[in-house]
Amino acid sequence: MKRFTLVVGLVLVCSVVLTALVSLVWTPFDPIRVVAADALLKPGWPHLLGTDAFGIDIVSRLMIGAQTTLQVGIIAVSIAAVVGVPLGVLAGQGSGWVSEVVMRASDVVYAFPALLLAILFAAAFGGSTWTAMAAIGIATIPAFARVARAGTLHVMASDYVLAARSCGTSRMGIAVRHVMPNIAPLIGVQASVAFATAILAEAGLSFLGLGTRPPTPTWGRMLRDAQNLLFGDPLQSLWPGLAIALAVLGFNLLGDGLRDYLDPQLREVS
Amino acid sequence: MTHTTKVEGRSRWQRLLLAGLVAMGLLTAAACTQQPTVTVKKFVIGASAEPASMDVTTSPSAAGPQVMLYNVYETLVRIDGDGKMRPMLAQSWDISADGRVYTFHINPAATFASGTKVTGSAVVKSQDKLRSDAATTTVLRTQLADVATVTAPDDATVVFTLKNPSQNWLYYMTSTAGIVFDPTLIGEAATKSAGSGPYAWTAWNKGSSVVLTKNAKYWGTAPRFDEVTFRYFTDANALNAAMLAGDLDVISNVQAPEALSQFSDTSKYTVLDGATNGEVTMGFNHQSPALQNQNVRKAITMAIDRAALIKTVWAGKGQLIGSMAVPTDPYYVDLANAVPFNVAEAKALLASSGVAMPTLRIRVPALAYATKSAQFVASALNEIGIKTTVDELPFPATWLDQVYKNGDYDITIVAHVEPRDINKFADPTYYWHYNNPAFQALIAKADTEPTEAAWLADMADAQKVLTDDAAAVWLFMLPNLVVTKNTVTGLSPNAVTLSFDLTGVARR
Amino acid sequence: MIRRVGARLGILAASLLAASVLIFVVCSALPGDVASVILGEGATPDQLATLRHQLGTDRPLPVQYLSWASGMLQGDFGRSYLSGDSVASLLGPRLAVTFWLVTFSLILALLVALPTGMYAALRRRHWDGFIATALAQIGMAIPAFWAGLLLVAVFAVGLHWLPANGYVPFAEDPGSWAAHLVLPVLALGLIQGAMLTRYVRSAFIDVLNEDYFRTARAVGWTQGRAMVRHGLRNASLSLVTVLGLQLSSVLVGAIVIESVFALPGLGTMLLQVVTQHDLQVVQGTVMFLVAVVLVVNALVDVSYLIIDPRLRGERE
Repeated sequence: MKRFTLVVGLVLVCSVVLTALVSLVWTPFDPIRVVAADALLKPGWPHLLGTDAFGIDIVSRLMIGAQTTLQVGIIAVSIAAVVGVPLGVLAGQGSGWVSEVVMRASDVVYAFPALLLAILFAAAFGGSTWTAMAAIGIATIPAFARVARAGTLHVMASDYVLAARSCGTSRMGIAVRHVMPNIAPLIGVQASVAFATAILAEAGLSFLGLGTRPPTPTWGRMLRDAQNLLFGDPLQSLWPGLAIALAVLGFNLLGDGLRDYLDPQLREVS
Repeated sequence: MTHTTKVEGRSRWQRLLLAGLVAMGLLTAAACTQQPTVTVKKFVIGASAEPASMDVTTSPSAAGPQVMLYNVYETLVRIDGDGKMRPMLAQSWDISADGRVYTFHINPAATFASGTKVTGSAVVKSQDKLRSDAATTTVLRTQLADVATVTAPDDATVVFTLKNPSQNWLYYMTSTAGIVFDPTLIGEAATKSAGSGPYAWTAWNKGSSVVLTKNAKYWGTAPRFDEVTFRYFTDANALNAAMLAGDLDVISNVQAPEALSQFSDTSKYTVLDGATNGEVTMGFNHQSPALQNQNVRKAITMAIDRAALIKTVWAGKGQLIGSMAVPTDPYYVDLANAVPFNVAEAKALLASSGVAMPTLRIRVPALAYATKSAQFVASALNEIGIKTTVDELPFPATWLDQVYKNGDYDITIVAHVEPRDINKFADPTYYWHYNNPAFQALIAKADTEPTEAAWLADMADAQKVLTDDAAAVWLFMLPNLVVTKNTVTGLSPNAVTLSFDLTGVARR
Repeated sequence: MIRRVGARLGILAASLLAASVLIFVVCSALPGDVASVILGEGATPDQLATLRHQLGTDRPLPVQYLSWASGMLQGDFGRSYLSGDSVASLLGPRLAVTFWLVTFSLILALLVALPTGMYAALRRRHWDGFIATALAQIGMAIPAFWAGLLLVAVFAVGLHWLPANGYVPFAEDPGSWAAHLVLPVLALGLIQGAMLTRYVRSAFIDVLNEDYFRTARAVGWTQGRAMVRHGLRNASLSLVTVLGLQLSSVLVGAIVIESVFALPGLGTMLLQVVTQHDLQVVQGTVMFLVAVVLVVNALVDVSYLIIDPRLRGERE
């Protein structure tokens, strides 16, 4: 059962990644060029899933959309991890007040949900992939800081760290040699879950018209464009909706699968 | 685990559970309740933009007049659905030979909803408010700038003296600039209904709706509904869904024409496709070096297949236009095909211009017609080798600031919905920075022409000048797409005024 | 303990201060000049300057911040630049909409998550428990706004059972009020319920592994009885925390759901005032939402301190 979760997650995530990689070099049709005569074709040949209101092939747009989705996820999660993990390790290793300051600051940031932050950013700098990624990334920092701190506290209490400390190894040395390798799996799990959240947040932003600019196709944007046809041509919104749901499902399952698969001891602290 | 925890824990969960069950029960019960039998005749209109204030003279937005004009507030003269001038509070009017003195004869039957008679002095007081109140918008004050004096020799007469003859002034008087307020309530127009129309506004639920109630003492033909509600939707799909669910009688203007196929069942719905004053204008920033070249602008015009654009962007609704005028304008000249779509010629013209084309920044307001048109235009310009980037700017604030005020753009797309707005091209400080002295002279001459015929001739020339110079690309006339339940009658298909005119509307 | 509660409240005050500075800084970075929005086309530079002076937007930023912050301490959240209404009077009627949406959605989420999560935990080694978990995973993966659109398509447009969108105040017509809330609450509550199910499941799996639970089973209690007597009580502690944390996710979900269902709540107002560049209302609304999240989480921590004796002495 545990394996099953992991395998399904891996398969879904790999198909998203593969699709994005293939779309870098090949899509069945031009994903941007408007062909007025081909507007709103039903699924068939050569347009397997039909075309949108601009006469653009939906398969091609979905493929390019996978790129944007991964881009948003990777950058947002990187921002969150690069800032959050060192802060969390610092809080876990440091004295009481350092820990307190870091965790309380992270509480304040936590009170700004990604979407709220993104609405403000989008208004300040115009809606774009970058404001969306920055907002999602910043809002996800606390999650990484918490996980890293909890993992660090756990590792710091272990016998081998006590031994290392008694040998006079510096804090930095312990962090690099003992803490980081031990919490890496935890961070991996968190990254996978955060990735899923980032995809959903980007879709929400695109739906509100605050996400990626046209003509770059994104799944959220496709869903937004298709919603006006929801009651007449529901297939138009089915495809991007499914793509979002499957990608989110994939990353969530991957995270869960990893968590169960990895050192069961770490389960307690995550 | 202590005793305290036990009690706290259990009772908290029990209480929460109980509250939840009660709430769900309530919701389910409500869902099953039938609507109570309706005795009041209600009419519900779905609209997209909510008024900023109930005093329509204080906001430039067209959302206020949509509800108020002709329904709550009346004017001396009005424009009917065909664009013709008609009497309203004034039975008739005389114009002096030099075109400077207008004498209006007020209908003796006319009263305000409060019962007060509509008199010449009420018109004078309203004009004082419109012309000198600090809260009145700049647009209105500009429209009334030609007025020298307004006097009321007796209760049934009001005389306007203009500084110079003006072809536009009487037209402005049919809209917000001509509203006559109840003199007893004129100071409280933002909080109280102060008009003489068939309805009075009785509630404004901010973010949601404005409610009009029948004026039982209306001096003209009695209103047909007891209560009219304008419901506001920021989301086009939510508006369509409400109509499809049967919650609305009318969609006042469809914001997503591709959704019209959902209303194709003629046993349930009627779709009206009429004219508006809106020119969807793809404006060039004439300060951008590359766009100062007339051949470049012409090449861009030729590169865009506007017939195909209307089809993909606005579901084939709307009309091709070729200059800054719409077919309901009295001076309209058909220039729709003056610069036909031709990719090969566009490429040749671009090459012959010798301009090294930079990447053009298309910066549009985040409104459906603009963002979709931008996507089409970006693809079309790519075909003739012009690279573009597209920005969607929140409207109005960011667009107004960056494009309108700071001129930070190369191309933008905006529907200019103000009536008879060709004179905007005569203002070199306006955001296009279009500076053509010949055109400016022509517009100035036109307004002061003594005869209508001369005015019409000048205005026809003005449209041709703009087209020949490729001053902008006029993508299409924004259609007035109205969806009604098929039981609704009497709506004008054309939106030639700012008013959503309820006077002729009925339900079978 | 009183000292610890006091310390927590002190931290809350500091957090509120930090949040207010953050919000003010971001809002001040917004481009666009509210004066030109108010005056519209054709305003002269003189008129713009006069209006900016009247509104106070020509003052240095620190001065603007202090006047805003000190106003809030006295309960004055500022005035809308556009309409002149006080921010508090704008928030008031919209608050009710968002409050009901969020409250009912949280209740629905709990009603879905508790039984499903408990079941999934108990039967975690069986196929039916696995299906419960899988359903939760699928629910989590569906964007809430899409779920909302589908609900509208089925129950409003298709079956005509419920109004598609909009809002009627309770005082006006309680039946209609409830009918208008059903679909948005379903959309938000079910998706949140799916997220919560995961937490409930793992909280109960933890309990199942505890010694006292095994003891209870060993002395002959049925699994169900042990679950209710021990499991619910112990899991509830971590669940209260999760509910507190979940609040910000529900509030954000509400912003999108309000937009789908054209509900005149805080979310739709926020989106509207951002595009209108009505700074004072943007600031006030965001500050209010953030304050709610911070205060609720502080209350959760404080109630924790009071309830759980193990936390009275030690650090969290």
